[in-house]
Amino acid sequence: MRDVYIIGVGMTDYYYRKSPMSDVSLGQVAVYNALKDAGIKNKQVQSVYTGEMPGLSGSICFGQQVAITLGMGGVPMMNVESACSSSALAVNLAAKDVAAGVTDISMAVGVQNISAHRTSGTAFSPDLNNPEAMQGLTMPGLYSMRARRYMENFGATSEDIALICVKNRRHAMNNPRSQFHDPLTVEQVVNARSISEPLTLLMSCPNVDAGAAVIVATKEKAMQLGTKLIRILASEVTSGIFTNGFRDMTWMEITARGAKEAYEIAGIGPEDIDMVECHDAFAINEFLYSEAMGFCGHGEGVEFLRSGGSDYGGKVVFSPRGGLLSCGHPTGASGAAQIVEMTWQLRNEAGAMQVPDCKTAMTHVTGGGVYGTNNSVCTINILSS
Amino acid sequence: MAEKTTKVDEQKQVIYHPDFFKIPEDGGAPYLVASKCRNCGQLWFPNLRACPECWSDAFDDAPMERAGKLYVYTISNVPQPGLKAPLAFGYVDFPNGIRVGAQIDVPPEQMKDIRIGMDLQVEAGVIREDKDGVKTVSYVFRPVAASKGGK
Repeated sequence: MRDVYIIGVGMTDYYYRKSPMSDVSLGQVAVYNALKDAGIKNKQVQSVYTGEMPGLSGSICFGQQVAITLGMGGVPMMNVESACSSSALAVNLAAKDVAAGVTDISMAVGVQNISAHRTSGTAFSPDLNNPEAMQGLTMPGLYSMRARRYMENFGATSEDIALICVKNRRHAMNNPRSQFHDPLTVEQVVNARSISEPLTLLMSCPNVDAGAAVIVATKEKAMQLGTKLIRILASEVTSGIFTNGFRDMTWMEITARGAKEAYEIAGIGPEDIDMVECHDAFAINEFLYSEAMGFCGHGEGVEFLRSGGSDYGGKVVFSPRGGLLSCGHPTGASGAAQIVEMTWQLRNEAGAMQVPDCKTAMTHVTGGGVYGTNNSVCTINILSS
Repeated sequence: MAEKTTKVDEQKQVIYHPDFFKIPEDGGAPYLVASKCRNCGQLWFPNLRACPECWSDAFDDAPMERAGKLYVYTISNVPQPGLKAPLAFGYVDFPNGIRVGAQIDVPPEQMKDIRIGMDLQVEAGVIREDKDGVKTVSYVFRPVAASKGGK
């Protein structure tokens, strides 16, 4: 297999409440920006994978709608969906094409325009093939139960959970693409209205609209283009393992397994990672995932945060862009958006968000709920400059 | 609900998965049915096409005890489209080692009394109603001491 490098990235802002452009335009802006960033032309891209959730938008052949009128037609284009992981999977597939020698340059696109297709005031849930979804389980409800159990097992408080929101908002204040630039206090977070007890509105990621694109290539192409070499050390995808038993809902088995596999592929450990963009769709997640990824022990997430371990100046910076909590979550686009922002960090182009001396970085996004599993999917990408 | 059983035939309603949720016709208490793999003995809920562990496709019905302990719960104040808030949902651990997630069917004013570790039992209740008024009846959990309750 050949090594794979990121040669271009592009995205839109994270639009809260109402995207100023259509679903297709969100994708086209991202693709245009990524091609410009790479310094290549539309017809040099040899395959295109697009992550978007048609279950939310009703789209058909969405990636082709984005790319064909940009003059990119004639090459394989495939659309992939696994909930929040959708465009992280697209990056994985594009990278596989290059690694396997099928292409020299491939593109992954992620788009979601939630505001155009969802009414506010309702919660996302697994689809109704899932018996727990039939019973009314929502995604906020699932993570609320993880939070309640975490609080029960480890004595964490709502105030502890709120600290994640305060930290990630502070990070987002430096992110020009986020529309959340007002600081938060623990009191505001704890006293916000309840979404699903014990999680409040401000402990839940906002729905936003965005597009993001990532172009990958061989080392030779990257060197010809003269871009700073950003290598994909690992692109790991795994799926949930079904069990009916008494699972510990504070231990994110799929993330722990995926992270372990990703570290093995990359030949590194958590001590080598400078920053993480994790799937902080709900504030409790950063505790759960910092533990599952091996940055601290099980049940030690609160102490890790409070000691500054997951912030600037600590062992690893979690969510320097502001995370899903303070950028918002354009579901199908989030996996690619994380990788775009991580690439800027590794190029030392992240402006006020820059993690000092950022050499190795990791993105993590799970997806969906199938009963009897942690999640349906978990995608982890480790990049290095 | 229970007190309206004489009107059941006049209402539009469907029973969600009568293959793993049994409401006895003799008026007996409703219960869940797990599947026991004939080859490896593993229990599954609900019934599956083949055993995920050993790939045998032969199962025996394994009726479950009605009561278990609440592992964790939430009260959803922002529900799925079409459902009413507040909605309590919880996972109950049963003596056979199976965990089942379902609505905790208590009136909103009693939701504050829900506790991790409390004993809940399986009952029949309306879990959702579509926009044409068709009710879906399935398993719900209610406190053991107050199983006549419900919304």
